[in-house]
Amino acid sequence: MTDAFVSAKAVFRDGGLVIDEPAAMRNKPLANRFYFYLMMPAIIVLACITLYPFFWLIFMSLHKVDMGAAGDTWNNFKNWTRLGSDRKFVQGWWLLLKYSSLCMLFEVSLGIMLALILNRSKWEKLLVTVFLMPMMMAPVIAGLVWYYLFNSTFGWYHWLMQSLGILGDKSILGDKATAMWGIVIVDVWQWTPLIILIVLAGLKRVPRDQLEANMVDGAGEIRNFFSITLPNLYPFLLIAVLLRFMDNFRFIDAILVLTGGGPANSTKILPTYLFDVSFTFFKLGRGAAIALTLLVVTIILGMILVKLFENPSTTKSSEA
Amino acid sequence: MATLEVVRYASKTRTVINVLTTIFLGVFLVWTILPFFIMFVSSFKDLLDAFALPPTGDFRGVGVFFNFSPTFKHYIELFTERNFATYFMNSLVASSGSALVSVVLGAMAAYAMSRTDFRGKDHVFFWIISTRMAPVVAVMVPLYAIFRNLELVGTLPGLILAYTTFNLPFAIWILKGFFDNVPYAIEEAAMVDGRTRFGAFLDILPLAAPGIGAFIVLCILFSWNDFLFASIIGSGGAKTLPVATRELVTPTSIQWGKIMAAGVITSVPMTLLGLLIRRYLVTGLTMGAVKE
Repeated sequence: MTDAFVSAKAVFRDGGLVIDEPAAMRNKPLANRFYFYLMMPAIIVLACITLYPFFWLIFMSLHKVDMGAAGDTWNNFKNWTRLGSDRKFVQGWWLLLKYSSLCMLFEVSLGIMLALILNRSKWEKLLVTVFLMPMMMAPVIAGLVWYYLFNSTFGWYHWLMQSLGILGDKSILGDKATAMWGIVIVDVWQWTPLIILIVLAGLKRVPRDQLEANMVDGAGEIRNFFSITLPNLYPFLLIAVLLRFMDNFRFIDAILVLTGGGPANSTKILPTYLFDVSFTFFKLGRGAAIALTLLVVTIILGMILVKLFENPSTTKSSEA
Repeated sequence: MATLEVVRYASKTRTVINVLTTIFLGVFLVWTILPFFIMFVSSFKDLLDAFALPPTGDFRGVGVFFNFSPTFKHYIELFTERNFATYFMNSLVASSGSALVSVVLGAMAAYAMSRTDFRGKDHVFFWIISTRMAPVVAVMVPLYAIFRNLELVGTLPGLILAYTTFNLPFAIWILKGFFDNVPYAIEEAAMVDGRTRFGAFLDILPLAAPGIGAFIVLCILFSWNDFLFASIIGSGGAKTLPVATRELVTPTSIQWGKIMAAGVITSVPMTLLGLLIRRYLVTGLTMGAVKE
């Protein structure tokens, strides 16, 4: 029997038998070289546009960066030590956490409720299609539209809030007590649909036998939800929350348009502060240090997410 | 697939719950659509009409919203005075260019990674996907410096390369999933028939085609909607629609009619494209973590 046949490993994926080549091909230089060449262009391009900037970032964070003739000078970790006493930096992390948590709270609870309703609605297809629309809008356009809706002289949502007696005569984005709610509302409007989609995908995969067994044991629908449905949804919710958290690190387009971090820095979440430090004040060294803290947290979140990717319960096909 | 059939007795609680869920669904529907609707209608309003509001608390006065004579002047002015045709083309070229580059390089790399095994593969794979997750603001400064040295700032190729930073890792990650589902036996059969390895690779491409197609659309969507890269790397010669729309907001005047019109121009094509690939949306937006 040939070597290749013995070492080929068979795995089940999506119910089908797949023969993987890897082990068989390891000892065949020709095949290896072929795959290597196939992989190289992408790897080289990625290395140039990601690794190189990453090391440059580390370099910058250790220097006083001068774009003029003086050049970069070593400054004994001053960029790093100053972070501890930088109130806006600490506050930025805190606000980012607060902003993300508020968004998650509303998006996840709304998302679960709507997915449960939609799952048994006969209009599911149509309604989901409509609900998806906000996700397709560029965040910066969404920001502009909501800026218009919230405007204190001609915004319809401002008018509505006033007519309902909310807020008094303040405008939601203009007051530092409410501005955070303003940006949360926009995020909830745009991204609740994603949670609906993910939860719906999860609901289709709640094992029916467990539900039935539980009902035979006398559980009602509410009991069924908490003891069977919710635990089964858990991996889906975790993925949803992690993805949204990382997106809140990535996308500040809407916030830049809506408040720019104001009023009185009440919406200056860390990425917005970083934007200011690097692109308004051009403190590139300090910006690099802040950017690295942001990157490290992102990478940790990413590692957790990748672990979840390997969870078969979320990726196996629902048609089974 | 069968659904869980539960005998539901008609009861008062059941009726109340049904009414409540319907109301909830209705409110959410209005909440989702209203911003689109107001944007759309406002794009046809003249300046004064756009500012008309009923007095506070006067809910009967909502009709004011429809009380205007529609004008196309914002759309016409965007294209005649503001070069929106150019910006539209820039958006189109940059996003589809990057989607194409990503899908060609990505398919090759994803196929190779799906079919081969080497030490440290998991680490390489994590590095690839982590580049997709990195916050754009964080890496913008060094990227800008590189792009400036290569004289790519403000050019379309520069913008295509910039978008590739997030589209290529995404492509490799998602497409590997597609190729993992194609049995190796098919290539084996092709090679037994005398095809080369590369020929066998080309042979199985059609099997992953629907996924690849949907994926190209997603890449276009991501890059079309991007703002940060476009405003910094693309500043100058390669202005895209989101940036051009943002620039209608100036310290002295905010041209709402034009902004709403530009918003419609930017969002409508993407909304349609998004609905077209509805089936792959969950997989794409969760980077393959969830399949429908």
